[in-house]
Amino acid sequence: MFSKLSASVKKEFLLLVRDKIGLSILFIMPMLLILVMTLIQDAAFSTMNEKGIPLVLVNNDKDSLGILIQQGLEQNELCSLSVNIDGKPATRESAQKAVAEGKFLMGIIIPANATEAIRKNVTELVNQTMGEEPIAGGSSIKLNDSVEITILIDPVTKKSILTSIMSNLREFISEVKTKIMFESFADQIAEIIPDKSKKPTRAFERSQVIRYKEVYASTAREKIVPNAVQHNVPAWAIFAMFFIAIPLSGSIMKEKNEGSVFRLRTMPSSYLLLVNGKIIVYVIASMIQFFLMLCVGMYILPLLGLPALVLGNSMAGILLLTMSTAFAATGYGVMVGTLAGTEHQAAIMGSLSILLISALGGIWVPTYVMPEFMRMISSFSPLNWSLEGFYKLFLRGGTVKDVLFPSLLLMGFFLSTMAVSSWVNRVKRNV
Amino acid sequence: MPLIATNSTKYTAGQAIMDSTEIITIDNLTKVFRDATEPAVKGISFSIRRNEIFGLLGPNGAGKTTTISILCGLFPPTSGQVLIDGKDLDHELPHIKPILGVVPQDIALYSTLTARENLDFYGHMYGLKGKQLKDEIEYWLEQLGLSDAANRPVGTYSGGMKRRVNLIAGLLHKPKILFLDEPTVGVDVHSRNVIIDHLKEVNKSGTTIIYTSHHLDEAQDFCHRVSIIDHGTILTQGTPQELINAHPGSSDLEDVFLHLTKRKLRD
Repeated sequence: MFSKLSASVKKEFLLLVRDKIGLSILFIMPMLLILVMTLIQDAAFSTMNEKGIPLVLVNNDKDSLGILIQQGLEQNELCSLSVNIDGKPATRESAQKAVAEGKFLMGIIIPANATEAIRKNVTELVNQTMGEEPIAGGSSIKLNDSVEITILIDPVTKKSILTSIMSNLREFISEVKTKIMFESFADQIAEIIPDKSKKPTRAFERSQVIRYKEVYASTAREKIVPNAVQHNVPAWAIFAMFFIAIPLSGSIMKEKNEGSVFRLRTMPSSYLLLVNGKIIVYVIASMIQFFLMLCVGMYILPLLGLPALVLGNSMAGILLLTMSTAFAATGYGVMVGTLAGTEHQAAIMGSLSILLISALGGIWVPTYVMPEFMRMISSFSPLNWSLEGFYKLFLRGGTVKDVLFPSLLLMGFFLSTMAVSSWVNRVKRNV
Repeated sequence: MPLIATNSTKYTAGQAIMDSTEIITIDNLTKVFRDATEPAVKGISFSIRRNEIFGLLGPNGAGKTTTISILCGLFPPTSGQVLIDGKDLDHELPHIKPILGVVPQDIALYSTLTARENLDFYGHMYGLKGKQLKDEIEYWLEQLGLSDAANRPVGTYSGGMKRRVNLIAGLLHKPKILFLDEPTVGVDVHSRNVIIDHLKEVNKSGTTIIYTSHHLDEAQDFCHRVSIIDHGTILTQGTPQELINAHPGSSDLEDVFLHLTKRKLRD
């Protein structure tokens, strides 16, 4: 039995290494795919992180609010701020035209006397709070007209960018309001407290009551920052592993067409033994392919100015998940090769179905942006099980324990594809 | 009324010693393919003796490939019984397969592998290994004039060379029964003679050969007995000379064939 199996493995190995197109599908194409997709998606990822968004500011205020917004936006990595257009100070009209022409993604117009308007509103609120007469007769708090900041938006601007800018603006305005309110209260208290030396200082300006610290929920020893490389390398490597179905199903079809299957069926060797030869070779090839993809992420991408792939804590976890993904991909290839009637059918069935299950699996678009219904369907894609497993290892510092379940699911998928292939073979033989 | 020869006389072809015991017995064999309107084989019965070269002749679609495929265990019959070397094909196929050798009409070889690599793989699948396998491969490559080309991919071979490697792949394990489906189709006269001569040698060493061909002159010279099959039914059976004698006006097997089938072999 071992002699037959080793002969079958040797035959498959020789067939594979002499199949130049199959080898390029297995090794060269995936490497190019990872390079191209990561470089492309690095730009998209940067946009998702919202850096250097071109903004134009028309600051008609020249007081606290205008100054604070301008300084805030200038210091913020989010924006690349301009106050001039074509060398001249930006105006409402020129800003509108520039945004419409796509020179800026957004324009912000702060009206004249905006700070003064806020100050009036806040002072009135403070006065009423401190028990002074309202400016105009009513008992309820009545404010002057609110300040209207105009946001000009290029229609191509993504919703996430708009939300980020608006959030920043609200923060600046809130800071100005608080500052004015604090000053106003200080002035009121100074009038109540005779000892001028005990007047509240401008400590507010120096204090930072709340600070924010970004900590990614990962237990990895090294600091892992989510970036295009961390997301794309495992995603496209899994995609490439499943593309093994095309050369594998092609090899099965070729055996059928060349008559080898006819001869093999007359021999005292089981179908399982012959298929096992294929599985062993293609699982190993698939694992080599995956580790080469990781090497591309670790050593080649940094040469192109991208961050290096960080593997996380668990090599054992990576090995387990890679192996079970390789089995799932190989089983899928055997199933496609068994179901298809011709090499042409196998190629089309293989490539289209992999595109479909990879899209569902979150390779192209993250599952969290999918609608609820699609997210549910996505959870049935073996590529999704594998991808989520690798995210656990590469982004969250997971261990073998964390990838046991996805590995079991992938091995279950492999066994299911083998059962289907075996059944289809029996049906096809029983003509 | 088809003539079925029942002559069980021992006879010799070359130096082969015929044995009147039957190595294959087919009884009322019928095959109806799924979705087919007519049976491909209609209740045929015949037997093949040990050490015999038995020709199954008939036009395309006559049922000969279906019959051979059933005998090789490729698919089961719809009804009927087949005994091979005393074993029931339906229940003891795994025990029967090791004694069968099959040389299909299609070149069932891996075109990117060399002749040696192909034969090494197929030999292993028949349970051969080590020195025994190596010696068999070298012997047959030498015998069939392929030693010099043995390390070249089979895809680079001529049609005749491929046929010879195809033949060796079915012979390596010295099968008791060898099925040959058009073993000389598409090859030149030289390759055909080499193949036929070696098959006669194989038969002399005790292998029963079941053979199909379009070359009726070749069949007449090569086979001890033949069956002519058409529309899934055996039309006649006997030694080539018996069949020629039984059909007045026939000078060779082709005349007998045309007389019985009323059409050309390649229709």
